[in-house]
Parts: sequence; C-alpha cells; structure tokens
Amino acid sequence: VGTESAILTFEEVGAITIGRIQSASVLDAMNVDQFGKDLQDQVAKTDDINLLLDFREVEYLSSAVLTELIRVHKSCEDRGGSLRLCAMNADIHKVFEITNLDRYFTIYSDRAEEAVKKFARSLTVEADERAWSNINKSE
Amino acid sequence: LWPGETFGVSNVIFCKEIPSTMDAVGDTIASALDVLRKKDWIAEAGEFNARLCLEEALVNAVTHGNKSNADLTVRIEMEEEAESGCCVIRVQDQGNGFRADDVTLPDCDQADGRGICLIRYFMDDVTYDPATHSLVMKMRRPGMEEGACGH
Repeated sequence: VGTESAILTFEEVGAITIGRIQSASVLDAMNVDQFGKDLQDQVAKTDDINLLLDFREVEYLSSAVLTELIRVHKSCEDRGGSLRLCAMNADIHKVFEITNLDRYFTIYSDRAEEAVKKFARSLTVEADERAWSNINKSE
Repeated sequence: LWPGETFGVSNVIFCKEIPSTMDAVGDTIASALDVLRKKDWIAEAGEFNARLCLEEALVNAVTHGNKSNADLTVRIEMEEEAESGCCVIRVQDQGNGFRADDVTLPDCDQADGRGICLIRYFMDDVTYDPATHSLVMKMRRPGMEEGACGH
C-alpha cells in the first residue's frame, strides 16, 4: 500500500508507515510548508500512526524543518502513535545533535529496511510492558 | 532608512538587497554560495555549513526582523576582511532587531530559536550590531588556523 506526494512517498510495512523523502531532497524554509502539510495529511489518515521517516536521500536540512518535525511528532503522539527517523548522513545528524533534538527523537542509524524491524520490535516490547503493567495493577 | 549605509567597504565580494520573500532568500543563497565557492571560501565539505548559516540568517531577517513585510528589504554583504583574513557576512534587516547574546539554545519543545544556535556553532564568530540591525558572521578560509576569526 503506498501513497505519494511531491516530496514524500509513503509505504505501509506492517504496523509502520515508512515516509521516504524523495531523492537528493533539500529540506529548507522554502519548501517546509509543503513538507509539513504532506506529513500532517498522512498522519491524519491513520489513527495511532507509527511513522518512520527515511532521510537516506536528504542532502540538506535547515532549522525550519526541525520545527515542522516536532509538530508532526506531537501530532503522532496525540493520535496514540509516534514518529521516528532513520538513515541520516553525518551533516544532517549533526544538526540534530547541535539542537539537542537527537535526544528528543528516536533516530536509527540504519537504513529504513532495518530500522522498520527495530521500530516494530520496540512497539511489541512496549505493548508487552503495558500488558504486564495492567496485570500487576489488577493483582 | 538603512542605518548602516556606511558599512560599504572595500573587498566586498557580494552585495544584494532583496524583498522579504522566501523566493528571494532561495535565489540569494544560491548566488552567495556560488561566490563563496569561486573565491575559495568554502570547500565541498564545508558547503552544507555555509548554506545553513546563510539560510538561517536570511530567514531570520525576513521572518523575525522584517516580519515578512513585503515593503521592507534585507541586505546581505560579504567582505574579505584584509585585517583578519576572514570572510565577514553581514545580514541587515529593517525591523526592530534582537540581541544575539539573548538567544540561548532552546528546549526541545520550543518552536523557534534554533537558527541562531546553528549559526553560532558553524561560524567562527557571530555578533549582532544593534546600530545597523545587522547579524555579523565571520568564517575562516578552509585550512586557516582555528581561532583566526574569533572564538
């Protein structure tokens, strides 16, 4: 199952939606509105969406995009899901480090194919922990 | 209208006055990078940093300085400073200005303020001149000793 926008393509892999940012993308203040709208539209389509954003093809990113990613992260959480990021090059990752956002977002260094497996495993673990917590509470 | 009219100096390698629009910002970044490349101020590996700082400074001037008022303009000037051997980039708006020293690294939940923090990280020296409403950034040429332009 897949959908497409000018900047992003989306693919559902099990419980996770992979958002692939298009090849050699420049994510800056000039196209941040469209980028944010494409992401928010996708988030609005699915309850408890778990979105993995693939940065493999991203060559440049500015702070305007960071602000947009925080908004999308909050939208995902408001709907019971989450946003995680993967496959950044060193320059892009540095921007997250400087702004402390490497601690705010879960960022996988792996490519999307591997990151989606880790994402899925962590969701399973979280679900198990919630189940055990509920059992303990009921006892 | 421009308190800093006197900052016109020799060794200017780029000077442009643009309307407060994102299209103008995009075009100006491309032109400025082209000049920095041709004048050997940036190596391929450093282009990301220079581009980021130019964008953050120009976007701040347009959106925060001039409040995106199309009647106001932003001026950018790049100068090869003979004294220090550094490249000085001045971005001047026509708004109320801000104190760069007041801008601290925001919490992760804060929507604005990260641009100036990124500039501080990547540029060798950053100051704000309230008299001219100008953000002044200094960068050293690739291979120059660290600290030659500040910090």
